[in-house]
Amino acid sequence: MTTTVSTDPEPGPAAVVRRGRRLRDHTTALGAIGGVIVLVLVTVAVLAPVLAPYDPAERAGTPFSSPSPDHLLGTNDVGQDLLSEMIYGTRVSLTVGIVAAAAAMLIGTVVGLIGGYFPRLGAVAMRGVDVVLILPFLPLLIVLAAYLGRSIVNTVIIIAILIWAPTARVIRAQVLSLANRDYIVAARSMGAGHGYVLWRHVLPKTMLLAIGEFVAATSGAILLESSLSFLGLGDPLQESWGSTLYWAQARGAFLTPAWKWWVLPPGLLIMFSALGFALLGYALEQRINPRLRRS
Amino acid sequence: MYERRITRAGAPAIGLAAVLALGACGSDDGTEDAGSAGAGGATTAESLRIGIMSEEGNLTPHTYATGFPGLNLTMLSYDSLMQIDENGQPQPWLAETVEGSADGLSYTIGLADGVTWHDGEALTADDVAFSVQYYQAGPPGRFATALGNITQAVAQDESTVVLTLAAPDPSFELRTLADVPILPEHVWSGVADPDVAPFDETTNVGSGPYRLVESDPGVSYSFEANPEYFRGEPKVDELVVVQFADEAGATAALRSGEIDTMMRSVSPEQIDVLRGTGTLDVVEAPEYTTTLLVFDTAVAPFDQAEFRRAVALAVDRQRLVDDVFLGAAVVGNAGWVHPDSPWYDESVETVHDPEEAAGLLDGLGLTDSDSDGIRELDGAPLSFELLVASNNALRMRLAELIGEQLGEVGIDIEVSSVEMQTLDDAVWPGYDVAQGRNYELAMWGWSAPSQADIGQMASLVATDPAIGNLNITGYSDPGTDALAAQLDTELDTTAREQVADELQQRIAEEVPFVSLLHPNGAYGYNPDVFGDWVSITGSGPMTKLSFIPGDGQP
Repeated sequence: MTTTVSTDPEPGPAAVVRRGRRLRDHTTALGAIGGVIVLVLVTVAVLAPVLAPYDPAERAGTPFSSPSPDHLLGTNDVGQDLLSEMIYGTRVSLTVGIVAAAAAMLIGTVVGLIGGYFPRLGAVAMRGVDVVLILPFLPLLIVLAAYLGRSIVNTVIIIAILIWAPTARVIRAQVLSLANRDYIVAARSMGAGHGYVLWRHVLPKTMLLAIGEFVAATSGAILLESSLSFLGLGDPLQESWGSTLYWAQARGAFLTPAWKWWVLPPGLLIMFSALGFALLGYALEQRINPRLRRS
Repeated sequence: MYERRITRAGAPAIGLAAVLALGACGSDDGTEDAGSAGAGGATTAESLRIGIMSEEGNLTPHTYATGFPGLNLTMLSYDSLMQIDENGQPQPWLAETVEGSADGLSYTIGLADGVTWHDGEALTADDVAFSVQYYQAGPPGRFATALGNITQAVAQDESTVVLTLAAPDPSFELRTLADVPILPEHVWSGVADPDVAPFDETTNVGSGPYRLVESDPGVSYSFEANPEYFRGEPKVDELVVVQFADEAGATAALRSGEIDTMMRSVSPEQIDVLRGTGTLDVVEAPEYTTTLLVFDTAVAPFDQAEFRRAVALAVDRQRLVDDVFLGAAVVGNAGWVHPDSPWYDESVETVHDPEEAAGLLDGLGLTDSDSDGIRELDGAPLSFELLVASNNALRMRLAELIGEQLGEVGIDIEVSSVEMQTLDDAVWPGYDVAQGRNYELAMWGWSAPSQADIGQMASLVATDPAIGNLNITGYSDPGTDALAAQLDTELDTTAREQVADELQQRIAEEVPFVSLLHPNGAYGYNPDVFGDWVSITGSGPMTKLSFIPGDGQP
């Protein structure tokens, strides 16, 4: 009796749990690394005025100086402290990344909800998503940036326009499966309106998914903002990491020893922030997305 | 002999100071080399490889693409009747004598003896007369415009041409005779459509020190010296011109020894880096290119001379030169004319005095009544948008600095970087000042010819768009107009100098625009290969003068 009780449920779930734990450990560790990176960046952004030794707009030293105790990363072409610029740049890069990704999430979620819930309309909407997905990315980005003019708001809009499509796809898939669940069919047959069902039953179940997508999209948005700024298509007078690189390029730092303190730090920061959000997004997605969840 | 070969314009002492402050660098041979050959490096070479960064098309006087370096390359194979010398003055060249009539309506030109085309035919007065008619009948362009004033060109004999003008033009020698390349009649009389002239064994025939022997637009050009050149055998036997995608690529090639020099001024921060390599040097020379702060003088309070003067007083030009150009620029003169120009009036002072500026603003009733650091005009904060082209990194930095400096006297400036086309549309719509303008403040610049020809000063300030065709600030003042009209027509040199001086004083007082600075040209080269550069004041060393032997100089 005891044996049957103890042995029967054991083999199946235990194996699953063990396998699952191994996987989850992996994911959790990556997610934790991502989380720490993001946390550090956010802290730096919030505490920028406290952490930065100088005002990034201030001409604090001799132009083109190399690193010294006064200026740990040297100064740029007009004598602004590069370290302070990096610290304040965190604000711009994170803000643009987060706002653009949030806007993209909003568009993507709305399109995904409608697309999944109203199959006919959805068929049309999804063709629109297909179009956005196959657009050649960087050329379109450059054309849009040149056409709309350079300002931080335009940069956000451009990035949002280009990265909402994958979110829409993921959300729609989730909504499609939700729409046929018994409780939704029941609610509908009891006379609940589309709006009520969407708001009350569908949206809450997709919200988590959207958040996961949002974090992953932030990583892409930060990279895009940096590319745009580096190409001089952002607002070059706004101190983000990308525009620091733009100025480094414009003032020849790529050809001089200055690359070590003028090119490398913003490059690494862009890499780490993109990596941080990507890892965090990956971990969240593994846990939230039903299609990726191991069974 | 000629005194000034390479004007190393570290010359302004402040410039040098800024350079030295940077620590690096071999200021090995200092500021001046007087005439002695070889001071800058090898005086002759078998082959010189030159980097360019622009697509130049077929290098004929009809099809060249850019003013610099395209026209400079083209003029290696061609000559004009007169040639600019090191001081920017037109001197006899293909024309041995140039005699203008007293009324300025006729010029008699006697050609130099023994000048031949690359194919051996003699260059005669018929070629000159043909060239005038051929350009005039051809498609519009720089040379057709320059010759527009000529009503008749007659070859009197083998070597004498008489040119008749519709109206006297004091700048005729500089703008026309020293600019228009003379064409071989026996080649071009057979070409109906010069705009699409191909490169072949006949269209590459000129009279210049070099003959273009290989042409692969977008990739490279190859010039061979003309040993029979009438001014002596060129110093370099072969010039190979290689096109690069951008400055970074060309600079890297220069450093690795793939090319020996570049037909593009390097940016200020590269000067010390190149000198620091040990193998390369930089020939630095003042250039006439101007950088200006312009404003719409029809908009209040820019319609008041006191306000404009206050703006000019608040701008610290020296600081701009030191901080943005690291000293590799010449401070702009309040009277517009470059200090190295023969027309420069020393009595015009360029002052930076924020206190006086503040006083002027107070006097105009522009005071800071709410103590926010910004003055008010009729209750509204004195705040303006300063436009700057986003493709010009140095100008963007200048704009930021100017914004700060004006902020210190209580004028709020918001810098906006815009596409170049957007800037042109706002400041100079349709490239026609008669179409008005739509901006408050902008960073602007004119190219070297606007300084080289003093007559152009009138075009910057005259109200009448026919004379003031570059008056982008919409400036209008009867006193200035009178001086401008006189400058445009005065034939007597002394009287013209007097007018030019008065106009400079007038500009300094009235401030129709603020002349900020003139970036120096700085050309990197390998002195072991060739370094005997000859700089023309205002236009730099990258012209054919650098390759013409000492006794053949104009």
